[in-house]
Amino acid sequence: MLISQNSLSDYKTRIMNSIHLQQTLPEVFAERDKIESEVWHKDLVFNKKEIYLIEAASGTGKSSLCSFIYGYRNDYQGIISFDAQNIKAMKIKQWVELRRHSISMLFQDLRLFSELTAIENIQLKNNLSGYKSKKEIIAYFEALGIADKLDKKVGKLSFGQQQRVAFIRALCQPFDFIFLDEPISHLDDVNGQIMGELLTAEARQQGAGIIVTSIGKHIELEYNKVLQL
Amino acid sequence: MKLLWKLLRQHISIGQLAGFFLANLFGMIIVLLSVQFYTDIIPVFTEGDTFMKKDYLIATKKISAIGSFAGKSNTFSDEDLKSLKEQSFTKNVGAFTPSQFKVSAGFGMQEAGIHLSTEMFFESVPDQFVDVSLDKWHFDKESRNIPIILPRNYLNLYNFGFAQSRSLPKLSEGVMGLIQMDIVLRGENGQQEQFKGNIVGFSNRLNTILVPQAFMSWANNEFAPNTKAQPVRLIIEVDNPADASIAKYFQQKGYETENDKLDAGKTTYFLRLITGIVLGVGLFISALSFYILMLSIFLLLQKNTTKLESLLLIGYSPAKVAIPYQILTLGLNLIVLLLSLGSVAWMRTYYTEVLTQLFPQMEVKLFWPAIIMGLILFVAISLMNIIAIKKKVASIWMHKS
Repeated sequence: MLISQNSLSDYKTRIMNSIHLQQTLPEVFAERDKIESEVWHKDLVFNKKEIYLIEAASGTGKSSLCSFIYGYRNDYQGIISFDAQNIKAMKIKQWVELRRHSISMLFQDLRLFSELTAIENIQLKNNLSGYKSKKEIIAYFEALGIADKLDKKVGKLSFGQQQRVAFIRALCQPFDFIFLDEPISHLDDVNGQIMGELLTAEARQQGAGIIVTSIGKHIELEYNKVLQL
Repeated sequence: MKLLWKLLRQHISIGQLAGFFLANLFGMIIVLLSVQFYTDIIPVFTEGDTFMKKDYLIATKKISAIGSFAGKSNTFSDEDLKSLKEQSFTKNVGAFTPSQFKVSAGFGMQEAGIHLSTEMFFESVPDQFVDVSLDKWHFDKESRNIPIILPRNYLNLYNFGFAQSRSLPKLSEGVMGLIQMDIVLRGENGQQEQFKGNIVGFSNRLNTILVPQAFMSWANNEFAPNTKAQPVRLIIEVDNPADASIAKYFQQKGYETENDKLDAGKTTYFLRLITGIVLGVGLFISALSFYILMLSIFLLLQKNTTKLESLLLIGYSPAKVAIPYQILTLGLNLIVLLLSLGSVAWMRTYYTEVLTQLFPQMEVKLFWPAIIMGLILFVAISLMNIIAIKKKVASIWMHKS
């Protein structure tokens, strides 16, 4: 695995091998009588090097799950732990490190900066770790058929194009797990397939786990496990 | 960093920042100028007598025409001294010892071709009334060096009278301190000795040429062994010079006192009061401008909340995200500091010009008080800015919407 120069010296010891959900449940669901889910209120472990698909209907807490694991919401019951550490106890500094080096996230709402160009959006992330070279980044753009959009303001791109930019950004960091929240909702099958290939290649190279969510159309990967949320 | 700045400078309101900038600039200038003006002007009222103990009076006996002709002595007797010591307002009494020998002093600058020489006299008071550091206020027979305190009038006399009429350079107190006087003492038996005199200070209130008591005792004994020096002036240390019982006692005894102490006190009091008010207004404006800046920055952060959130989510630390805003405020504060120091320096040239014409002995120093005050304000305001921004960004992290 590539380690950027910026990473902390104790980075090696920080490698995450598993994400463990113990009886986890969003607080808003707490009052429901019956929960039929393979994720909520269960004992579930996501392991490195494995590929998961979480299928969900709207309103079942798919994005909530992502935000819990990514540390920007903590309104849940139960315990989520990385390896043996309860994430509710983690400090800001640890989260910053994790987001730079251990977990990558493709947000459903992308969280791109519409005032910046596509390449600037990528650089804003890549500058943190210097993980990918500009050449590699451009190769991604070419592979996904948006090489002509490099210097276009992201605000001017279609959602499908933006999804691809956000996807490239998600690959521009070292990670043990990568989360993709509905990554191909606005993509055609060809681009979805290319994205799947790039994702698998990168994850394999890094030895990382992949967790994909979907409410219908899902990216074609060799899933180890499919879970109904 | 460049990208971060490109992203975060969106929504910066030039109007608001200009408002802060001007308000802070004016506040700062007012504060610095008042501090500087006060420190510049206050020596005019107080300087010169700092080497004397604070509250003292100088008492003399009235000289009347009849008394002079009748040969009535205006010296103080031992009984007078004793009675004065017993008064409740008195803390300490010292007698001026006049010289019983002839003194002529001259000073000059050979390069300028000036040589002034004059007959004069010395007086001394006990050392405990003089506040010059002991190594300066010390007479040593071997070194033949006499420390002298002169009335400031003498310097004015030279600067405004002599130097003015002959187009000679005006002298400041600092320069005077460097000039050595040639002093010749002549005794009643005709013996004569040469000494060097060094001016260690100027006094507004002591109308005499003051030398150390040790020198006076030695010299009177050496040059006039048969005459006993009778004091004509007393120096009295009191608790409160405005005490009514002093005036009453002096009137009863027919003593006079050189009483300008109160006037200088009043002037400095009002000067302090006015400076305090101006300083207060300046600080108030500075506080308001700080408030404007904080509001403006908070508004900016608020408008950029989503962006900041996204930055934090892609792995930027709150500290790093706060840096552009902190640099922005720091930069503004720094420009304000430099501009206000510049304006104070510029405005100062106007009033120091007037001041040096009125008080040539005043030495124009570098404007340290304004610099130090400016730095203190800069550091305090910047620290508060930085902490406030840090807290605001941290609150965005904690928001976890």
